[in-house]
This record gives sequence, structure tokens and C-alpha cells, in this order.
Amino acid sequence: MSTTEQNSELYGILAEFKNPKALIDASKKVVAAGYDKFDTYAPFPIHGIDKAMSLPKSKLGWIVLTCGLIGFTGAVSMMYWMSVMDYPHNISGKPFFNAPAWVPVTFELTVLLSAFGAVFGMLFLNGLPKLYNPLFNVERFKKATDDGFFVCIEAKDSKFQADLVKELFEEAGATHIEEVYD
Amino acid sequence: MSHKPTITDNLTFPADSKLPQILFGVGAVGIILSVIGYFVNHDQFFFSYLVSFTFFTGIALASVFMVMFHHITKSKWGTLVRRIPETFGANIWIWAIFIIPVILGMHNLYHWSHEEAVATDKILKAKSAFLNPTFFIIRQVIYFALWGFVGRKLYKASVELEKTGDWGVTTLMRKVSAPAIPLFALSIAFAGFDWLMSLDPHWFSTMFGVYFFAISFQSFWAVMILMVFFLHQKGLLTNTIGQPHIYDLGAWLFAFTIFYAYIAFSQFLLIYYANLPEETLWFYDRLEGGFQYIAYGLLIFRFAFPFLVLLNRERKHQKKVLMLVATVVLVIHYLEIYWIVMPAMHSEDAHGLDFSWIDITTFLGLGGIFFGLFFNTFKKNSMIPENDPKLEECLEKTYHQ
Repeated sequence: MSTTEQNSELYGILAEFKNPKALIDASKKVVAAGYDKFDTYAPFPIHGIDKAMSLPKSKLGWIVLTCGLIGFTGAVSMMYWMSVMDYPHNISGKPFFNAPAWVPVTFELTVLLSAFGAVFGMLFLNGLPKLYNPLFNVERFKKATDDGFFVCIEAKDSKFQADLVKELFEEAGATHIEEVYD
Repeated sequence: MSHKPTITDNLTFPADSKLPQILFGVGAVGIILSVIGYFVNHDQFFFSYLVSFTFFTGIALASVFMVMFHHITKSKWGTLVRRIPETFGANIWIWAIFIIPVILGMHNLYHWSHEEAVATDKILKAKSAFLNPTFFIIRQVIYFALWGFVGRKLYKASVELEKTGDWGVTTLMRKVSAPAIPLFALSIAFAGFDWLMSLDPHWFSTMFGVYFFAISFQSFWAVMILMVFFLHQKGLLTNTIGQPHIYDLGAWLFAFTIFYAYIAFSQFLLIYYANLPEETLWFYDRLEGGFQYIAYGLLIFRFAFPFLVLLNRERKHQKKVLMLVATVVLVIHYLEIYWIVMPAMHSEDAHGLDFSWIDITTFLGLGGIFFGLFFNTFKKNSMIPENDPKLEECLEKTYHQ
């Protein structure tokens, strides 16, 4: 992290707030001001923060549903291929297409792929694993795992103007405002 | 984060409501007609009675179960609606009188109660240490003593907390609940064995106890949902029980739909796969003579339909959707008990599926009394456990997305 501020690019502006309540109020103000490329950081989950940030409903459910359906059809077609088409075998006089006996495998594969979809889909939507984040350049940001509550508006945001953002944070009652460089 | 919630609703069920009287009236008419039914057809009366009795008792037992685990996990999600199951539990000690017809009808209902039949039957002889009339009656007394006591105790404690505001009562609630949960688990399982499984005394399933619990518990959530919407319909608690609380009930119904399917199918699969005659006969009787329609109906209306409908998060709090699913679940719950009980009725005029008017009269009779008792108790105290330490947090719950 030895980059100097001169030859690096502005990533965003980071503001620290006193407590979760202030963080929620601040994110509401940020949303009201029309920014959408911003994020909040806190040492613990805060109820209502997603609402304050007006985050859209997660798409994870659709990923899980798709994976679950793939697991379901995959299991049924696999067993159909094996037990009915490729190697039909008479097992205690039961039909080749033995629906009740197929339920456990179908159930397991549906659940397994749904779980994969949930875990890996969550990682994907969160952009994880992520080995580097420009915020790590800020010494103060280490407090985010201890007692710091931060909001960062990224320079990528179409409405971004450094002085206006700083003004907004000041109005919102930030205790500390800092520019973050990549 | 949010300010202290204030309750704006009136918290008591209207004291001048004639609802309990109406329900008792329906119950009385139903019972009188059922008594006539008894003289018309003894067997039909007792079997119909057993179906309805199991239906309502199961709901009361599931209620107490919910109250107990709510206490023991120090939950707050359901504090607002807890008075409903508490009230169901409060009346089990009175409800106990309705086991008497089952005991009186033992010879009509249970093949194992005939000494001469047991004497010539090796299997029944081996089971006679457990399946004999004396021990059967003793077990019923034990069950209802336990259920009646715990149900009453938890209700009384909750009312005491409401009146005195003494939070120390919550310790008592947990102290009662902790040992009562395993006792309830055992007694509900054995009640399932006694009332339903022993109708076919040669047959056995070690899962039957859980199965009886699973069907009762799923339908209990349906009752809760309909009860909350019924109160809303009457303009009660409309601003108190809100979307997040209804969502929780929908989520419970969804969860225990899956639990039901898991248990019911596990019981079926093992028997189907092993294909041993002594075990498969039970299902054989229930997959012919019209009963197969109920069996497939269970798969569709008790699992597939509620599961697929409630899978989406938004569906779990929508009034119309929940009312429809809850009603379907309760109808199919009745049919499932009917499907378990009726094939065991070996009277001359019963071949296969054959609904009788006595099914309806016993259901109305017992249902009228059951809900009459409920509302009679429900209107005596507040409809929510006031002064409960968790109440405020429960009221504060918010639903988003």
C-alpha cells in the first residue's frame, strides 16, 4: 500500500459516522441525494440498513430456483436414462420407472444444487472472493471491524463531485471525511 | 432505531359477542344428530367420531407444543399471536371428556379389544401386554392429565403475567415447558399409536407417532392463519398483528408442509421398498376402493400445492393466498385422518370410500364445542399477552423487500 496520492486515481470519498443510527440516517440522505454507487460498512449487521440504502430485492432466489430445477430435472433424467433406457433391470418386480424409489435421489440433487446456487450465487453477487479493495489504503478504515461506521460514495457514480459529496457528508454529521485513492 | 410502538387497537374480544353461544349451539345440534346416528349405525358413529376427535385434539396438542417451544427458545416472533394457541391449550382438560365415546366404542373401533379374537391370533396375543382395554384406558387418563395440566398451567401463567406484570413468571413458563416437551413428544406419539395405528392392530410403523405430530402441526399453522384473518375480519387487532407477523405464520406453514411431506413419504417409501406383506397391507387397503383418490390428493393438495404456492416470499403474507392454502390444508387434513381411519371399518355396508352424514354431524358437533370453548376463554382476557417482556420487540418487527 505504498501508492502515493499524486499518481493514483480517486476511488471515492469515505465518511465516518458515530453510530449505527447515524449511519442509517446518512445512507437515507445519500439515497435522497440521488447517489447509487455507494456502500456502507459496519462491524456488525444493522437491521434496516438495506432498507435505508434502498437496495433492490436480491436476485439470489432466482439463481437458487434455477439451480434447484436443474438438479430436479437432472436427477430424473439421469435415473430415467440409467434404469429405463440404458440398463433396465427388474428389481423385485417393481416397474423400471419406479417413481417412489427415485424421490430420495431427486430430492437430494435438488437440494444439493440449490445449496450450491445459494452459496456460490451469494459469493458471485457480492463480488467475492475479493483480495483487494482501495478502502484498505485508508488507515482509519480498519475501525470498520471494530467500532467504525462508514459510508463510501464511489467516484464511478454519475453524480459524483468531490466537493458536493463532502458537503453532503458534513451535513449528515460525519465525524471524519477522507478521500480514498486507488 | 424506531420509536416505542404504541397499540391503538382494542385488545379484548368483544365481551358481548354471541359467538361462543352460537358455536356451542352448533356443537349441541351436531352432537344430538350424532347420537341419533349412533342408533342408526354404531360402527359408523364411532369411526366418524374418532376422525373428528383426532382432528381437533391434534390441533390443541400442536398449540401447546408451539407455546412450549416459544417459551423455551425465548422467542419473540410470535409473542403477539401466542394467546391463540395458549387458549386452545387452556381447555384440553375440559376437552378430555370427549375421549369417553372413544373408550365406550372401543369394541367397535379396535379389533384388539375383543378377547376372543386375541386368543386365536398369535400376533395380537404378543401385543396384548400393550393393546388391552385396561391399559388403553389408563393411557388415555395419563395423556389427558398431562396435556390438560400443562395446557392450563401455561395459560394461567400467561394471564398472571398479564395481570401482575411480573416478568419472573417467564421463568416458570420455561420451567414447565422444558420437561413437558419430551413428555408431549412421547404422549402425542403414543396417542397416535393408540387412536389411529391400532385400528389395524397387525400393522405397525415406528414413524407413526411423528407422522401424527406432523399432520397435526401443519394444520395447526393453517388454523392460526385463519384465526388471525378471522380477527382482522371482525376488525380486531388490525393495526397490531401486521404483515411481518402474518409472514411468520406463512413461513411456518410452508416449513411444516415440507416437514409433513418428508415424514409421510419416508413412512411410505420404506414400506413400499421393503415390500413385506405385513407392512404393505395397510397401504394396500388405502390405495383401493376410492381411497386412492385421497392418497393422491394428499400428494397434490397437502404438499405440492402449498409448497409451490408458498415458495415465493411475497406469497407468504398475502391474505387471499394464505387463506386459500390454509383452507385447502385443513380440508385435506380431515381427509387424511379419514383415509387413515375409515379403511379399518369392517362393517357390512362399508366397502371402500363411503361418506356418511354422521361424518358431518360429528365434525360439526365436536368443532362447535372446540371453538366454542376457545372463544369462551378467549374473550375473558386480552387477545395478546400484555406485559410480556418480548411483546415490544415483537410489535417492532418490520417486513421489508
